[in-house]
Amino acid sequence: MRLRHLLVAAPLLVTAAVTPLVAGGSPAQEGQDGEGQSEDELLAVGRELYLTGCASCHGENGEGVNGPDGDLRGPSLVEAGEAGAYYYLSTGRMPLANPEEQPVRKPPAYAPDEIDALVAYVASLGDGPELPDVDVEGADLANGGLIYRANCQACHSASGSGGALSYGRAAPGLADATPTQVGAAVRIGPGQMPVFGPDIISDEELDDLAAYVEYLKDPEDPGGVPIGRTGPIPEGFVAWLVGMTALLALVAWIGTRSPIRPRRRPERVPARHE
Amino acid sequence: MARDPSRLLTHRLARWVDSRLGTARFARTALNKVFPDHWSFMIGELGLYCFIVLVLTGVYLTFFFDPSQQLVTYDGSYGPLRGVEMTAAYRSALELSFDVRAGLVMRQIHHWAALLFLASVAVHLARVFFTGAFRRPREINWIVGCTLLILALLNGLFGYSLLDDQLSGTGLRIVYSVTLSIPVVGTWLASLFFGGEFPGPDIIERLYVIHILLIPAAIAVLLAVHLAIIVRHKHTQFAGPGRRNDNVVGERLWPTYAAKALGLFFLTSATLAFLGGVFQINPIWIYGPFDPAEVSAASQPDWYMGWLDGALRIMPGWEIRAFGFEIPNPFFPGVLLAGITFLLLYAWPFLEARVTGDHAEHHVLDRPRQRPVRTALGTATISFYTVLFLGGAADVMAATFGLSVNAILWTFRFLILLLPPIVAWITYRLCKELAARDGVPIASRVTWREIPGRLRRRHVAADAD
Amino acid sequence: MSDAPRPGEGESVLTRRGVRVELASAASFVVATLASIALAVVYWQGGEPQAEGVLLALALGGIGVGIVLWAKHFMPDDEVTEEREPLVSSEEDVAAFTADFAAGQSSLTSRRVLVATAGGACAALGVAVLFPIRSLGPRPGRGLKETPYRNAPIRVVTNEGEALRPEDLPVDGFVTVWPEGHTDAADASTLLIHFRDSQDFQPAPGREDWTVENIVAYSKLCTHVGCPVGLYQAELGLLLCPCHQSTFDVLEHARPIFGPAARSLPQLPLGTDAQGYLIATADFSGPVGPGFWDRDR
Repeated sequence: MRLRHLLVAAPLLVTAAVTPLVAGGSPAQEGQDGEGQSEDELLAVGRELYLTGCASCHGENGEGVNGPDGDLRGPSLVEAGEAGAYYYLSTGRMPLANPEEQPVRKPPAYAPDEIDALVAYVASLGDGPELPDVDVEGADLANGGLIYRANCQACHSASGSGGALSYGRAAPGLADATPTQVGAAVRIGPGQMPVFGPDIISDEELDDLAAYVEYLKDPEDPGGVPIGRTGPIPEGFVAWLVGMTALLALVAWIGTRSPIRPRRRPERVPARHE
Repeated sequence: MARDPSRLLTHRLARWVDSRLGTARFARTALNKVFPDHWSFMIGELGLYCFIVLVLTGVYLTFFFDPSQQLVTYDGSYGPLRGVEMTAAYRSALELSFDVRAGLVMRQIHHWAALLFLASVAVHLARVFFTGAFRRPREINWIVGCTLLILALLNGLFGYSLLDDQLSGTGLRIVYSVTLSIPVVGTWLASLFFGGEFPGPDIIERLYVIHILLIPAAIAVLLAVHLAIIVRHKHTQFAGPGRRNDNVVGERLWPTYAAKALGLFFLTSATLAFLGGVFQINPIWIYGPFDPAEVSAASQPDWYMGWLDGALRIMPGWEIRAFGFEIPNPFFPGVLLAGITFLLLYAWPFLEARVTGDHAEHHVLDRPRQRPVRTALGTATISFYTVLFLGGAADVMAATFGLSVNAILWTFRFLILLLPPIVAWITYRLCKELAARDGVPIASRVTWREIPGRLRRRHVAADAD
Repeated sequence: MSDAPRPGEGESVLTRRGVRVELASAASFVVATLASIALAVVYWQGGEPQAEGVLLALALGGIGVGIVLWAKHFMPDDEVTEEREPLVSSEEDVAAFTADFAAGQSSLTSRRVLVATAGGACAALGVAVLFPIRSLGPRPGRGLKETPYRNAPIRVVTNEGEALRPEDLPVDGFVTVWPEGHTDAADASTLLIHFRDSQDFQPAPGREDWTVENIVAYSKLCTHVGCPVGLYQAELGLLLCPCHQSTFDVLEHARPIFGPAARSLPQLPLGTDAQGYLIATADFSGPVGPGFWDRDR
């Protein structure tokens, strides 16, 4: 699917590669030159990409498509907004080959500027959430930790390594999530994730939260090898596989006879004197 | 002659002590005590040395830990928790970890030692079981040993719960609720132990007293009894050339056995020190302070409690309700299973003696293959508890391997019933095969000439003194 | 008795291999010495956990290896036999003990009046000294069956004390709330969930007006062993407890559909006050948290 995309979008790529930021901001566009492109052009590019890669499951105008047996093949994108489109496209979860499976993080199928175009287009379909402007500079890490532990750790675990959900689904680990992706996910609630609106987690708190998620990627590990930071299970494995193996090996070494000294005949020890 | 001065000194010292305590004869006997030297007899020692390390590091920790549940605001050196409200207990644990020099390595050595203490006890228990070392006259020592196991388990649980972090606090919540589930008296027991409804204002301080004083004292006393009984009975030994039921063949305590024991102590401590410095354990700063309204995914107790946690997960949602009363679900996998486990453990020597009709003194050990039934029951039991342990890790298994946690738990529900009989059967056949191949006699048909109610007395010719 | 020369005494000639072993043992002790010095330096310089652990391990391990090599290769390891004396005393000895004990005991048990009154006194004292245990905790009374929501109608507030309007919680929204003024009440943590129109919500009989604009409230405490049920799976409409995987159906009065929980999560009846903030109109539909003996009484 990716190859086909590139072949079709190649001429558009050349044009898109010199497109500047669209109003509304998307950090994926850092480092590009500032040549202007009108919003209409961006939307046009986005629509082209959309029709090629997304319409088969999400409908010509993002209205959603039901399969022949009535099951949802692709949900409506009318309320996805910038945040929804950005999240799914930048984490590579969309395009999704098999709608039955839980989407997982993959290398994105689209280049950053293509993502911008698609984001702009999907946002234009309705009034879904904006892409939050997440800035982790100078954020309050301690407050972020409080918010994280109150809202996120139940699914994503205290160390951000993810966790099991029902029936084979899983809350993903957060090691690869950028602050903007964190912000987008919090606002749209992808998949099974609930939605945390601005009245529950304000935009300032979102900055703090994203900063804490960044921290969890490389926290202080003063104790040594972190073995996952997930607690007693890896610790139990280390205790048995490293600790107990070592101790039993030592015991076996100590208990075996020395080959240097030949064993003498058994010598009798007198019984206890009373 | 170079030896003389030190010998003279030893002689003078021995005479000084003996003239006050009369110990010379006893000391001489002690020096010459014979210990059979099979390596598997040193596994219990591992537990002893882990306990010593626990006490030494534990005392150090008590100088810094504050068991108070008073709420304070953290202002220490760990940035991501600065300004956060927490109990004084949790704060003192953070200070130990970040601000007390060598505090973190002491804390980690202490925790690794606890995990290995229980692992050593478990392996030692298996060795004693599979070699039949619990038979007469060692039933009392078996009971002492089982009690040591329970005390160690409890002390570990209470120990890591002192830190009042999110993970261990969740564990305490479960302890509270399982206590609550006991019929008739559960609500009273929970309220008296915790000082009210969960979490209660007193639990950390109470656990502190239990953890640093009551249980360690009990363990120390029982360990002394355990060792004294071994000395009284002399250690068991495997069958071999020159080894009979009425002698013990091995090496003398002094100097070799004592040196080896001392060496093992140093090496055990070295292993624990290595683990404590190199492998991070219980990173409480990531878990955060305990909040009864919060919980993390992948919440497990320390490994030795995993069987109870797994039992709670695998148990289907059944309860008993009648006449307005109920026996809630957690009672069965929590209280009843634990009760039956330890009851069977305590009773095993007596059960086996009754079933086999073997009430004789045994100082020669069995090889597991000589006792197919006992060995099969033992491995089946291990497989049962292994399934429980795995059940406790079901959500982590699901997340790691991309499986459905529901399917895993359903599988374990069937496995817990099907696996033990299969393992028992395989073990039984294996023992029979191995015994037949080695020409080792199966001991279950041994008969002893016995006067009912009395033991056959054995006369041993003592050396003329 | 014979004092046969002990093996090893005065022995000073070693084989080549013996020399190597002695060298290894000595080297271990030297390593331990150096490690101890380094450990002291590390500590003095401010400490560092990994260095402390490894150096301590080398110091202890060096001594241990040195001692073990010494014991294994240079200490006597001849096989010695010790006789086991009969453990069991003779019948005469046991009988003599029984006789002595019984003789003393008869003077105790023959005075019936004294035995009875002494027994009564000891029993009474034994019972009396148990009474201080009662001070360890309060009577488990109504507390287990009530929460601060009994002061209803009362607003529900977040952890920071902020009241919520229905529009503050978007669709698929999920937040933990408490009764106003009781945000530290461990038994009152409550989940507010905004389910979707497309999800088929079926209220329990008599609870048809317990929701406000598709927002439903359940106790956060799992009815299994009381962990907070922190995982909300928005598409499935399921609450999953991370402790033991009890799963509750949000659309059907949070009844358990998988796992060890045997009871639904108690539901909190919601309403709105004059200013439009969400309130609880009564306490939960049942005692919150795990079960206990007289929960239904």
